[in-house]
Amino acid sequence: MLSKLRTLCLKGIDGREVSAEVYIAPGLPAYTVVGLPDAAVKEAKDRVVAAVRNSGYEFPSKRITVNLAPAEIKKAGTHFDLPIALGVLGASGKLGKKPPARLADTFFIGELALDGAIRPVAGVLPMLLALKGSGKTAIVPFGNSAEAAVSGVTCLAASTLKEAAAWLTGELELNPCLPAPDQKPVSACAPDFSEVKGQAFAKRALEIAAAGFHNVIMVGPPGAGKSMLARRFGALLPPMTFDESLETTKLYSVSGLGLTGRLVRERPFREPHHTISDAALIGGGSSPRPGEVSLAHNGVLFLDEFPEFSRPAIEALREPLEAWRVTVSRVKESVAYPARFLMVAAMNPCPCGYLGHPTRECACTPLQVHKYRAKVSGPILDRIDLHVQLSAVKFADWEALPKGEPSAVIAGRVLKAIEIQRKRFSGETRANAFMAGAELRRHCALPEGASAVLETAMNKLGFSARSLDKILKISRTIADLEGAAAIKREHVIEAVQYRMLDKAAELTAGI
Amino acid sequence: MGADAGEEKLARVRLNFFACHKSDWLLRLIELYGGAAELLKRPPAELAAEGGVMLDTALRLAAQTAEANPEKEMLAANRAGIAVLTALDEGYPELLKKIYDPPLVLYVRGQLKPLPAAGIVGTRKATPYGLRTAGRLARELAEAGVAVASGLARGIDTAAHQAAVEAGGVTWAALGAGLNCIYPEENKKLAAKITDSGGALISEFPLDKGPLPANFPRRNRVISGLSLATVVVEGGFESGALITARFALDQGREVLAVPGQVDCPVGRGPNFLIKNGAYPAECGNDIISCFPPEALFGLKLAAPKQAAGPSDAALKELSPDALLAYKAIAGDERGLSADEVTLRLEWQVQRAAAALFELETSSLVLSRGGRYCRAI
Repeated sequence: MLSKLRTLCLKGIDGREVSAEVYIAPGLPAYTVVGLPDAAVKEAKDRVVAAVRNSGYEFPSKRITVNLAPAEIKKAGTHFDLPIALGVLGASGKLGKKPPARLADTFFIGELALDGAIRPVAGVLPMLLALKGSGKTAIVPFGNSAEAAVSGVTCLAASTLKEAAAWLTGELELNPCLPAPDQKPVSACAPDFSEVKGQAFAKRALEIAAAGFHNVIMVGPPGAGKSMLARRFGALLPPMTFDESLETTKLYSVSGLGLTGRLVRERPFREPHHTISDAALIGGGSSPRPGEVSLAHNGVLFLDEFPEFSRPAIEALREPLEAWRVTVSRVKESVAYPARFLMVAAMNPCPCGYLGHPTRECACTPLQVHKYRAKVSGPILDRIDLHVQLSAVKFADWEALPKGEPSAVIAGRVLKAIEIQRKRFSGETRANAFMAGAELRRHCALPEGASAVLETAMNKLGFSARSLDKILKISRTIADLEGAAAIKREHVIEAVQYRMLDKAAELTAGI
Repeated sequence: MGADAGEEKLARVRLNFFACHKSDWLLRLIELYGGAAELLKRPPAELAAEGGVMLDTALRLAAQTAEANPEKEMLAANRAGIAVLTALDEGYPELLKKIYDPPLVLYVRGQLKPLPAAGIVGTRKATPYGLRTAGRLARELAEAGVAVASGLARGIDTAAHQAAVEAGGVTWAALGAGLNCIYPEENKKLAAKITDSGGALISEFPLDKGPLPANFPRRNRVISGLSLATVVVEGGFESGALITARFALDQGREVLAVPGQVDCPVGRGPNFLIKNGAYPAECGNDIISCFPPEALFGLKLAAPKQAAGPSDAALKELSPDALLAYKAIAGDERGLSADEVTLRLEWQVQRAAAALFELETSSLVLSRGGRYCRAI
């Protein structure tokens, strides 16, 4: 007898409909799964057998064929257990002589425990979003009910195989999934910018970075406060829009990090260690999973000790920094994950960290310094708009300094600048950092006297032509922070200060 | 030049391919055999027996010179506009001939004008004080018409060459590598400026020889050998600057030192020299006054200048904000970071950024590793 159920699978971060067909034929007992299953799907057999028996049913000792269609999509994950088990029950006549009426418009997702319980799985939200607006129903694990409720699709939560089977035959009604109660973030003890004393230039640079979505690199000796500033940076960014939340939550769900069931409402802050592999950073694996850059989607990717990252990892950042997504290609499939993140990098001025320090002597040779710096030169540096130098804070200064501006005040200015940009751009650009070509020329007209500033910067400080575009973009953001319609000369002058790694003298600084 | 002289020059260029730490014994052998061409004809065993050389050294000499291709080298030098000089040629600096082991061959790009020269040497890890003083001495020497000799290394050397070029003077750079391998990389532009402004790049090493560590002490004897006096600006006890000073003393030249900061590791070298009798150099005139009287002929001597900082005219051109920032920066020997400028003056970032940009582009202030220091 044949039984057909509907389920879903993931391709990248999008759901696809899949049908699970189970056919039971007379013959020697056998069990085959066809339709490009991966190892976890093949293992479903043993879980299904145990779950069916432990739910009080008899497992048919016949020839069972399970087909997952369409066959060209690679099927990964454990959530096929439930549809397969129900298919076996259906095909062996345990759900009535005719296929139950509820079977037609229902999708099933769930991993089975050996005792017949249904376990939560990863990727529920993106899978369900494929059903949005179709009016279909989905049965999801009880543990995923909060996450499923976010999708806006009618979902029912089942906690055991027996419950799901009873619902199909109409013996039992299941509870609809409810969203988790919204939790306000505990902001009272969240790190705040006012705790960082001094470092006025770095704070200003981060404010500009947040306002125009510019990538930023901080250069400074150990203890200057680079990490401290970076960890407080998220507070400057505007709250996430619903679409942004949904996109980020989908990525978290695919990675199995979304099981708390809430929408990600706070911008992600990812801080991978510098020993991370390139695959872990941008995404990969034999069945691809999003990497750190995608988990930082719509948020902040903080790379501390930037030159210590492996060269493949640094080079791998080029694609997401350019295209705002990552394409992971494998033999059987190729998927794309979005990765529109704001990169905050931090590095020491030299391997020992004390080059140019007012009181400590640097122990590095010029060659070491050169090699260290060369790791962040070229194409990567080209994608970082703001460079800012931090210096060690003296104790006397530190003690005497007043508290800085609180994050909320800075965030207010940032939000205004972002609103100006929302009006300015339509479509993909969204922020000043993404301006290119024609847009740059249209929105960044040089004011009078500013071309002389740029010329001096090129001649005296050794700036190259490629830094000029960056200076223009930064000037635009500075003008937006001020609410100025046109860029002024002083905006350009300030912008020049945030391109310190372009200065010719900087290459030989202190050597 | 006769056929013999041509042959002898080629032989010397060939002999120069032999890498050794000291060349005085080679010169003795040349004298003994009456020329490098003769020397090269001798079998190694004979060199060892008659010349007092170890047999393995003689064998190495034979092997390395046999490999060399002096004709090709001369052709390449000719094409690149590089003069190849031996002690037999007229352009070979007279002063350098007098040292006890003058280079067999000098490769020269640019002009070696017959000027009195002073060497300015110092550490690569210079402080703002050292850089600024080296620059000022070089400028004053250049303005007086003295050639400034140095080694094109980072730090003090670069500051000295740069200032001499900017003052429109002549400066010579003795390199620790062949002229085809300018080292360090970032000084290639400076090297071009040196030759464009009537100065010269000088090396005794074959054109394609890389910057090996062993080359640099040998290079130092050329700097001091070209100069009537050598000034050490900054350097530790073990620094190349002190090696140069020792060469200058061995060669019978004057040694001067710029008094160093006593709390700074790079101040120890020059202060050690002063304690042992070197003249302290405060200004260009201090150096020129050590020259023998016949060398003073034709120099434009100015009244002795004290280190006065920038001229009032230069300061008057600054905007009021930039002047305030300059005063704050000049008041701190170690310089200020951009953040410290905002703190001292209680300014907003924007205001400080504008003032610092003005100062940096006016050359009154230099920024190194994020700290702004007085440049003059």
